[in-house]
Amino acid sequence: MDTPAIRLSGIRKSFGHNLAVRDLDLTVPYGSIYGLLGPNGAGKTTIIRIILDILGADAGDVQVLGRDDLEEVRSRIGYLPEERGLYQKMKVVELLEFFGELKGMRRKEARQEALIGLERLGLADRADEKLETYSKGMQQKVQFLSTILHRPDLLILDEPFSGLDPLNVDLLKRMVLERQREGATILFSTHMIEDAERLCERVCMIAGATMVLDGTVADVKAASGRQEVAIAFEGSGSFLDAPGLVERVSDHGQYVEVRLSDGADPQDLLRRAVADGTRVSRFELIEPSLREIFIEKATKAGLEAESEEEVDVWAEPGAA
Amino acid sequence: MGGAGGGMSGSLNPLNAKVMAIVRREYLQRVRSKWFLLATFGIPLLMVGLGAMSGFLITRGGEETLTFSTGVVDRSGEVSQLVVAELLRDSLLASEAVGVAAFPDDSLPGRLVASDFDVFLVIPPELGLEVTDQPGVGGEYEEGPELELVARMNVNSGTRRTIRVAVNRALVKARLERAGVEGLDPEALLRGSSLSVVNVTEQGEARSQEVFQAISFIISFLFYMVLIFYGQMIVRSVIEEKSSNIVEVMMSSLRPWELMLGKIVGVGAVGLTQLAIWAAVVATGILYGLTAGAAALSEAGVDLSQLTIPVSTIILVLTFLVLGYLLYSGLFAGAGATVSNEHDAQQALFPVIILIVIPFVAAQGIIENPNTGWAIILSLVPFFSPLIMSSRLFVAVVPAWQLAVALVLLLLFIFLAAWVAGRIYRVGILMKGKRPNLPELVRWVRHG
Repeated sequence: MDTPAIRLSGIRKSFGHNLAVRDLDLTVPYGSIYGLLGPNGAGKTTIIRIILDILGADAGDVQVLGRDDLEEVRSRIGYLPEERGLYQKMKVVELLEFFGELKGMRRKEARQEALIGLERLGLADRADEKLETYSKGMQQKVQFLSTILHRPDLLILDEPFSGLDPLNVDLLKRMVLERQREGATILFSTHMIEDAERLCERVCMIAGATMVLDGTVADVKAASGRQEVAIAFEGSGSFLDAPGLVERVSDHGQYVEVRLSDGADPQDLLRRAVADGTRVSRFELIEPSLREIFIEKATKAGLEAESEEEVDVWAEPGAA
Repeated sequence: MGGAGGGMSGSLNPLNAKVMAIVRREYLQRVRSKWFLLATFGIPLLMVGLGAMSGFLITRGGEETLTFSTGVVDRSGEVSQLVVAELLRDSLLASEAVGVAAFPDDSLPGRLVASDFDVFLVIPPELGLEVTDQPGVGGEYEEGPELELVARMNVNSGTRRTIRVAVNRALVKARLERAGVEGLDPEALLRGSSLSVVNVTEQGEARSQEVFQAISFIISFLFYMVLIFYGQMIVRSVIEEKSSNIVEVMMSSLRPWELMLGKIVGVGAVGLTQLAIWAAVVATGILYGLTAGAAALSEAGVDLSQLTIPVSTIILVLTFLVLGYLLYSGLFAGAGATVSNEHDAQQALFPVIILIVIPFVAAQGIIENPNTGWAIILSLVPFFSPLIMSSRLFVAVVPAWQLAVALVLLLLFIFLAAWVAGRIYRVGILMKGKRPNLPELVRWVRHG
């Protein structure tokens, strides 16, 4: 399909004097898993709320599933917000029915889907119990189910893995991938780059209210122009003393990590080692991680001190 | 969409399937709850119980009079025998407090404590027993003599009245004797009249003014209760969705005004259900009253034929109730959206509740004087008209133009209030933490 699932152009949003999103262009192709990355406070949730017309942008255009008016496509979107919650006092099956109806399903149809979904989650025998009797992990499962009950074409997940137990992280990933295989587009935001690197085909990185990176994960890595090599060897290591070829060496004891200069060929380094008489037991090209690329980009972009602090926070994964 | 727009396009059917899903959820969750049973049957029981309790306390209190031992301190020295006789006729223990009459007022408390009496009844020295044939000539005694009770304990209103009536009889007797008339029963001479008003409607129906004033008060009270009670229910519902983070998913599924409308209609339907149940109970009671209890009622002076309320009045009152609810519930929803917890809610709701208290207080005067200029104006002003006009309907003949003006203004304000509240709601519902101040609220309304 030619039109993308989501197209934002020139989006700008400020809260009072705080600029939350600055001239953002963003395109999410149909059928992709798209990661919206950035540290906490970078504006990811604001962007998602603008896509869903929960917030109005100050300027710019939003097109979702090919339409300018979100009302026409609301029923085809599933949304899992960062701060989750459901009606505690409702029977679970009725709760799911209700959310199905809000997405344009007929009640009967919603009930059927709800029972099938609960069956799969192993909760079928508790469908008529109130949500408040469920454990926290079970409530999370019910929440996922309510998000995908109507088989949305576009699934928007805001920090979906934060606060989940490991079993539910796996369950959610399976459900998301399943939706994608059925043709749905997935947009999810996260401050945990490792999650994005594993799941996403395309990523967009936000820092300090602007986009600093956009593209497929492979493109982003290739475009970074960075090459690192892990080398394990016996010998003096004098071959590493090669200005113009080697930029930096970090010694990890069993092996060294070598950062090559821009445009250098790793083969040259291998040749130098052999010519030097070094016994090489490992010579491995290491792809830069998205995290490293991001930190580099964010720093290069000359971001304000404020966002650099956020980058530091980001350097500790798992601080959800 | 583009910029801050969007939202209002697409399906504008106010009661579309999504809104109905909200209505259904709000309605069923409430009607099925234990709370509903409790409120529907508990509140009337509580009211009846409170009424019975206060009645019980008043009548029980009345019996204390019998145990009073009253000492008559007759400073005039002319009527003590007559007064004692009349007090005894009313089953009050009484005898002359011999020798006490000579002592000054400030010594009486001490003498009372030292005596066996519970109460001293002090009769002043000048009684004005001479009656002339010229009206208005009685000099300083035009008001009649002032009696005083010096008592060890609280003397309730019933006993005070009994004592006063007994002394009055004694005084009449004394005056008759002075005038040389013998053998007349003073009680018969004092027998007065009572006045009841029968209002005649334009259709020529008669109705008892007292009863209709009572109905008018009940109506004003009902409006007051219903508007505040169900308004607060909407507020709780808004806050629940905010504090449990449900609202964000809702906002991704439907427009803010749809959510607000669904809530208002759903909670309103709960209210109507409750009223219908109460109406059914009252109707059953009246039917029972017509058959089994008619005799008892007519004995109590209630003429059922003067109690007929025209159907048009009932329809008008229901219309005003529903419209009033729509006006206020929008405001409650908007106010509820500005806060994040029930504690802050009390302050945010204050202005709205004041708008309900004012007409309720005003109605109490208007029931007595329903056709003054103020009464008419207040019954036309949108925020006050539902309660005040409904009260006036029972005690005045309200011209059609006043009803028309009140209804048109009310409808206008419902839309205006819904628009303002809707914009506050749209912004407020996603806000957490600090309550907005007035300038911020104005900005919300202007930029929505």
